[in-house]
Amino acid sequence: MHALDAHEIYRFFHIGDDETAALRGVSFHVAAGEIVALVGPSGSGKSTLLACVTGLDEPDGGFVEVAGVRLTRRPEAHRTRVRAASFGILLQSGNLFGHLNVEQNLRLQMLLARKPDDKRIAGLLESVGLSHRARAFPTELSGGETARAGLAVALAADPPILIADEPTAEVDGDTESRLIAHFEARRDAGLATLLATHSKALAQRADRIIRLKDGRIDRG
Amino acid sequence: MGERLVIAKGLGRDFRDGNSGRINVLRDVDCEIAPGARIAIVGPSGSGKTTLLHILGGLDRPTAGTVEWPALGAFETLRPRHIGFVFQSPSLFPALTAVQNVGLPMLLAGENIGASDIGASLLQSFDLDELGDKLPEELSGGQAQRIAMARALAMGPKLLLADEPTGQLDSRTALLFLDAVLDRLEATDIALVIATHDEIVANRMATRWTMDHGRLTTGHRPGAVTA
Amino acid sequence: MMFLLWIRGVLARRFLRVAGAAAGIALTVALLSAMALFLANAGASMTARAVSAVPIDWQVQVISGADPALVGKALADAAPVKAVHQVRYADVAGFEAQTGGTTQTTGPGQAVAFDGSYLSDFPAEIRSLSGTLDGVLIAQQTAANLHVGPGDAVSIQRMGLPPVEVRIAGVVDLPDADALFQAVGLPPQAAPQAPPDNVLILPQEAWRQMFDPQQKARPDTTRLQLHARLAHAALPPDPVSAYTFVTAAQRNLEARVAGQALVADNLGSRLGAVREDALYASVLFLFLGLPGIALAVALTFAVTSSGAARRRAEQAMLRVRGATIKAILLLSATEAAVAAIAGTAIGMAAASLLAAVAPGLKATVGIDGPTLLLVAVFGLLVGLIAFLYPAWRDARWVTVAAARRTVNRPNAPLWQRLWLDGLLLAAAGLFFWQSASTGYQIVLAPEGVAATSVDYKAFIAPALFWLGMALLTIRLSATIIARNGALLRMIVAPVSGALAPVVSAALSRQAGRLTIGIAMTALSISFATSTAIFNTTYNAQARIDAELTNGSDVTVFGTTDKPAGAHLKALASLPEAAAAEPMQHRFAYVGTDLQDLYGIDPHRIGRATGLSDAYFSGASAAGTLALLAATSDGVLVSEETVQDFQLQQGDTINLRLMDARDHQYHPVPFKFIGVAREFPTAPKDSFLVANSAYVARTTGSDASEYVLMRARADPAALARKASSVLTFDPSLKVADIGQAAHLIGSSLTAVDLGGLTTIELGFAVVMAAAAAGLMLALGFYERRRPFAILAAIGAKPRQLAAFLWSEGLLILVGGMTFGLISGLLTAWMLVKLLTGVFDPPPEALSIPWLYLAVVSGLVAASVIAAVLSARPSTGQTAEQLRDL
Repeated sequence: MHALDAHEIYRFFHIGDDETAALRGVSFHVAAGEIVALVGPSGSGKSTLLACVTGLDEPDGGFVEVAGVRLTRRPEAHRTRVRAASFGILLQSGNLFGHLNVEQNLRLQMLLARKPDDKRIAGLLESVGLSHRARAFPTELSGGETARAGLAVALAADPPILIADEPTAEVDGDTESRLIAHFEARRDAGLATLLATHSKALAQRADRIIRLKDGRIDRG
Repeated sequence: MGERLVIAKGLGRDFRDGNSGRINVLRDVDCEIAPGARIAIVGPSGSGKTTLLHILGGLDRPTAGTVEWPALGAFETLRPRHIGFVFQSPSLFPALTAVQNVGLPMLLAGENIGASDIGASLLQSFDLDELGDKLPEELSGGQAQRIAMARALAMGPKLLLADEPTGQLDSRTALLFLDAVLDRLEATDIALVIATHDEIVANRMATRWTMDHGRLTTGHRPGAVTA
Repeated sequence: MMFLLWIRGVLARRFLRVAGAAAGIALTVALLSAMALFLANAGASMTARAVSAVPIDWQVQVISGADPALVGKALADAAPVKAVHQVRYADVAGFEAQTGGTTQTTGPGQAVAFDGSYLSDFPAEIRSLSGTLDGVLIAQQTAANLHVGPGDAVSIQRMGLPPVEVRIAGVVDLPDADALFQAVGLPPQAAPQAPPDNVLILPQEAWRQMFDPQQKARPDTTRLQLHARLAHAALPPDPVSAYTFVTAAQRNLEARVAGQALVADNLGSRLGAVREDALYASVLFLFLGLPGIALAVALTFAVTSSGAARRRAEQAMLRVRGATIKAILLLSATEAAVAAIAGTAIGMAAASLLAAVAPGLKATVGIDGPTLLLVAVFGLLVGLIAFLYPAWRDARWVTVAAARRTVNRPNAPLWQRLWLDGLLLAAAGLFFWQSASTGYQIVLAPEGVAATSVDYKAFIAPALFWLGMALLTIRLSATIIARNGALLRMIVAPVSGALAPVVSAALSRQAGRLTIGIAMTALSISFATSTAIFNTTYNAQARIDAELTNGSDVTVFGTTDKPAGAHLKALASLPEAAAAEPMQHRFAYVGTDLQDLYGIDPHRIGRATGLSDAYFSGASAAGTLALLAATSDGVLVSEETVQDFQLQQGDTINLRLMDARDHQYHPVPFKFIGVAREFPTAPKDSFLVANSAYVARTTGSDASEYVLMRARADPAALARKASSVLTFDPSLKVADIGQAAHLIGSSLTAVDLGGLTTIELGFAVVMAAAAAGLMLALGFYERRRPFAILAAIGAKPRQLAAFLWSEGLLILVGGMTFGLISGLLTAWMLVKLLTGVFDPPPEALSIPWLYLAVVSGLVAASVIAAVLSARPSTGQTAEQLRDL
């Protein structure tokens, strides 16, 4: 049993009369203590796959298990519970609520995952280098600070699995390095990380690379 | 060498920081831009590249220091006639077609006679003539940025400022874009200043300025062509 | 904790979106509260007028043999009684009098006695015409039949007893004879009996002396009634409650006396009629107010939906972060609750403030508990739905388990495809045509019966029309804007000049938002326009109605013995009086029917009072008066008289007038020259109008019983001055137009619409300004980025402003065009449909030009203010560019 198991995931979309297959039988897993990078050109289905494995979208075929718990074809309430407890999600942008400052964003995430712990907040902020920006609102943060704050929020509830969709696309090299350092720290701590990325630098630091092409895993 | 396009001395820029205090985005920046320069401003995010670019382009005023445009005329007329600007994210007017977007600066300046011709020829020089009648939502990221560049060049400015123009493009498209721009500017004395954190882009430029926490260090790449 | 965290953040950083929604809800609740307040006060006013118009509240007839004292006690126990008096009736075989050698005998009649202080509590029962009130009084008709006057002797033919003789002290009129002589205890469906023509009123002791024996011998020929006035202060103000209260008390009394007495509930009957009218008034005012409320709700929804995009993004983010649907909805509900509660509270506070300061709204009565609760619940619901409906709709998408993500081509909304606007307008036309074909008789007010039967279906036509016009406005606006054609460019050209093609291209992409702005502005203006025109027309007619009843601004009512005309000089010289003209008020027999006769000077009467063309049939007022002036013996009669006597123009008609010299009625020839439907102070019955000179000549008396006066400024002030001038003669009654209480078919027009006007029009202005300005301002917020970009590529502030001015111009032009047309047509329709309510019906719409100009000006001003405040400054541009 892995931290995350995806088996024969199929996903179709209808646009007008056409039917496109975004995912055609994708199977993979992410184990504890490893970083897996999902790479592939735009339109290869990376974002769709991430949505399916986190329960935000329901695949048309196949199943997803999180630590052995079935996620697919289950009621929305169940999927939400699993998502809150198991996943920390870091997106390319829009990770922070604009009307809450950094500290409040962290607190909210903890409350949503039902693991409120104010003592952890200071530590989290320090680990992403934002201790001095705890009271800042998202509109006042620079691009790099926003990305780091987003990471802190994703990690706020100490999730077993971190999912990141293009986390370093809008940041500079310095910030990218700091983010990578975090991912590696997670791996060393025995936690799982799944990244979708364009960045070669990032992909090279992963333990495994899964290449997607046209909705299938490209073994070539 | 010709008159300097921009001379900046001791630039400083503060911004309000929510309720607490002020943040210094720029500190004591000195720089000059000569005609035909090819400058890359590099630095981590938050180092002040964008703010510096805005001030050099007359979009913003410094809170300390001075900035002058000896060869370019009065502050009010800088854009679009003398300075062209390209932004990072798509900045085309969603309601207008590509060619209308390119001709927009001329319309704003009150010189819309022949605007569409100039627009069309600019598109051609960027290999975008078939896209003339498309709306921005129908274009890819790379295409939109090239059209934004064409718009910036529409009124024949002497200085082109670009803020992370390749930020949202993948590497291949970014290179194509850069090549197109450099080709277009070849053998003109139009100065080009690009703020970027992409090493590939920075390496194609003759001059590299580095920004770090609001301070600027200028430098030349040895062996490069100096304007 | 999570909710607190969230809502604190929203209030601190997104205050405007909560405040905006709260403002919309406050507006809705304030309007509703204000209307409820107005309706409560209008109801109270109707009740008060009705109650004051009933001379005797209850008539309790004591069954022969029962103990009056017991009945009196039961009465006092059953109801809050202010005054009770005993009245005795006796049937008589007839009256006889000898005058000038002949003997006149009447048919059967009544001898009535009031107890001692009766007239101080029921003064409206007797009106002195000549002689004194001290002694035996004879009814006008009886005196005429017997040819007697004060000082003459009359013989009373008792039943089964020898006759007795009395001497007449005075001749009186019995204005309330119908009620006074009603057969108490008859079932309500029974036809009302005509009151007796032959009546003598005796002092109590005299009656007892003469008729106690008759009562012993023939108890079925005498009656004892207790006339009661209830304590009106104890009545609930609302007509329906008052009716219930009074009829319950009546039933209580009937239960207590069980068989000992019969009750005639005059007050209850009158309140029953008013109850109908109150219901009608409620429907009418609700109709006038409903568009405003709908608009306020729509405004609230518009404000909340403007923040919907960001809220949707937040909700999507919450979902990603692991929030359950329930949590998401609860967070939204928290925000909704804050806005709804704040808005409702502010709205109610605003309404009570309005009640305190609004001119014309004499808020003596507050809103009752249940209504208040209803209003509060409505406000809360509006707020909750505005926030929760979009959230719930988005959330539902998620829970559809096997939802295949399809990209739909955006379709035109369902109503547009079904041509609902056309259907509604067509239906409105059909309903209107149907009402028109019946002569707009939606208010059936049979003469003499104070009740209304209302055809509520008549309101359907204007309601459908209003709705259809709103949808049509949306369709036309959306088409014109989205098509981005020459019309659009033409509209924006004045403010955008050479940039017109770019500006119209930009606007055509925002057709949805602009259309909503136009539609709402149009609806506000339409609401204001239709209500204003209706109210103005209504008020004009109400004023005419009051003028007709009172005669003029101020009227001094006298009698033949004590004519007001004797003081004409003194009255005319009052500084507050613009004019004072005398008018004769006599009585004349037309056949056997006694009618009021008014003698005027046709050349001069117009100075003191306005005479409308509607008063006369077949000719204009000016023409009729000219004809009367030219025909010295001319007379104007009622339609009924023409029918009864088959009169043709120029026919001679003999009227019997009382001669002042011998107090006898003598025939006087008149020439029929025209029909008068209405005349100042004239009653609903048939009446006559003639030249005062001719009447004076033929009756030997030039006394002018009335004086009509026109006031320079405030009629009430003139009335006070006139009263003080006349203080030495208390038999003269001074009345000003404001006091004119009238009993016509519908007491609806008795309601003072001044308060309603203030409320509704004030709100209309606020909402018109809000709709235009707010929609514009909220739209600007979303265009910061494009503007920053435009500035970056060289747009001057003036050019940026052109985009804003064009939007403002579009909303203003579209809103005012559609709004004014729709409002005008709705008002026209409403006035036409309510023709029966007006008496006389209006000749044309009264258009309050000043008010409409003010509304237009305020709307334009708020649009201009919104545009000015939305123009970006240079500093702003720099800050915004950092976001790019």
